[in-house]
Amino acid sequence: MEPDPAKAKTISPERRTGGEGGTPFLSLEDLRPSPRARKRLMDRLMPRRHGYLLFDPSRCTGCGTCEMVCGKRNVSLVAPASASLKVLRNEESGKNFALYCQHCRKPLCLEACPTRAIARGEDGIVRIEKLFCVECGICTMACPEAAPLRDPRTKGIHKCDLCEGDPLCARHCPEEALTYTRGKAFRWIKGLRWTVQAASFLLLVFILIGTFCFFKAGVVSLSCPTGTLQNIASTKTIVLTGIFSALALILLTVLAGRLFCGWICPFGFLLDLAGKVIPRKIAPPRWMANRLNKYGVLAGAVGGSFALGYQAFCTVCPIGTLCRSYGVQGFFRGAELAVVPALAALEVTERRSWCRYFCPVGALLALVASLGLIKIVIGAKKCKKFSCIQCAEVCPVGIIDGNILREGVSPKIPMTECISCFRCIDRCPYGAAKIRFRWQRGVPGEEKP
Amino acid sequence: MNQENDRLAQVKRYSRASFCVECGRCVAVCPMADMYADFSIEMSPRGVIQKVLRGGRAILEDKNIWYCTECNAGTEICPQGVSCRDLIRGLREMVLEEHSEDRVSYCRCCGKPFLALPVENFVLRRLEEEPPNVRALLECCPACRRLTYFRRNT
Repeated sequence: MEPDPAKAKTISPERRTGGEGGTPFLSLEDLRPSPRARKRLMDRLMPRRHGYLLFDPSRCTGCGTCEMVCGKRNVSLVAPASASLKVLRNEESGKNFALYCQHCRKPLCLEACPTRAIARGEDGIVRIEKLFCVECGICTMACPEAAPLRDPRTKGIHKCDLCEGDPLCARHCPEEALTYTRGKAFRWIKGLRWTVQAASFLLLVFILIGTFCFFKAGVVSLSCPTGTLQNIASTKTIVLTGIFSALALILLTVLAGRLFCGWICPFGFLLDLAGKVIPRKIAPPRWMANRLNKYGVLAGAVGGSFALGYQAFCTVCPIGTLCRSYGVQGFFRGAELAVVPALAALEVTERRSWCRYFCPVGALLALVASLGLIKIVIGAKKCKKFSCIQCAEVCPVGIIDGNILREGVSPKIPMTECISCFRCIDRCPYGAAKIRFRWQRGVPGEEKP
Repeated sequence: MNQENDRLAQVKRYSRASFCVECGRCVAVCPMADMYADFSIEMSPRGVIQKVLRGGRAILEDKNIWYCTECNAGTEICPQGVSCRDLIRGLREMVLEEHSEDRVSYCRCCGKPFLALPVENFVLRRLEEEPPNVRALLECCPACRRLTYFRRNT
């Protein structure tokens, strides 16, 4: 059965009724609104967030207080077996682990429930509606962690609902291994980055025209490293001041990775904005989706400049075009500026596809960033694998492999591709994504004490 | 053979199958109606109960006992206290003790039977958009899944 992309958002009648050739008939789903119904605009802009029940395995002693208070809430008995969370104990290694529902962002139990009794509230809490639940246990079978637990006494299914915002287990945990917080996500990097991006866009495009390519104020001069390379290639003379002025950006890249791409680049800002509007529908063709392309473009730009005698790529460079297009030189210099929307249209394949695959400025910075001082690490042990994978979702250059993370392996993040936007660090609610120095070993959750 | 009949009688007695009045309430609440397109009277709890009462041990060869999710709905609503879940569970245990049945899926990690195959197919069909490594994990029994998760996180 070929899944129809148009129907991918909703459950097709075939899937609903089970198997090919099944005639669609009225089912419970027709009576109840689909849990995937479209969100209202305000909820999209300002989503109401639930807190996160965080568990620290190094603090847990396996006392089982959480199970007792949880069981008390579920069945009015001090019955640890009736709890919505389970403490797994290993007497040999002495390690303990509390297993409970992580309130996935895309819950598999919700997909699988035959009676559609499971719903994800607008506050993000996944609840089982007792009225519709027949306690068949299919949610346990669908959950990768098998977190909905079957009560051996009443044969019912219990699943954590975060006690509607004040979990008893966190309140009563004597070692504070379970804590209920708003998560470890920063959530302010986002605002800071957008502000910096907008400010540098204003500065580079509107106020100091053409300043990205070359800028001189007194003795201080700054220039684009790729442009400088092309300049050297085309004029066949090396101007020392030009090299020194290009070094500023190189130095920044060594210190902080491709910070320029993620935070300063005016075209990158435009692409980020375009990516918010343009739907990503088309898979990029094979030849395009190769991250080595950009080095080819860089080599071509330098070689072309050498052969042609003028800065070949700079005439079509989207960053340069943006910076030079406004001001006295003429408002919207038609043909030249057409490059910008043409390349922004690449967003229809993947986010920042220009930066990923083609940008020679980024390519040069990527070469430098491989010598950089910092790296981004994601610790799979701290991460909640199946329920989240937000980092892979928000990464604009798509270098975080969510599938490897699901396997429980910390992914290696190539700093040559990373544009240091720090979205992953901003979003991770479990504090698993961190900035580290290049020489530091270990990832969050796996360091030696 | 005699022992088997005793066992069948025991299962019947334990699940109170002979008290069934064929009211059909269990069919009305049965989630199988939502799960399978070919839901039929033979597959429904009432059909299985009647076949047990009338046909005796022929039910053990019937594929219809493997569709049930062993939920609580029919048991809870029955006015006579018949537990279709206990009946089906007993029948399945009898079959599994005799020979390993190809209608059950076995845990990939510990090798024990944990789910009837039609039910697992239903789950996998509902989750067919998930990445393969998540789907592969669903082939383990819940206890093994919890253990895997435990090992990966500590």
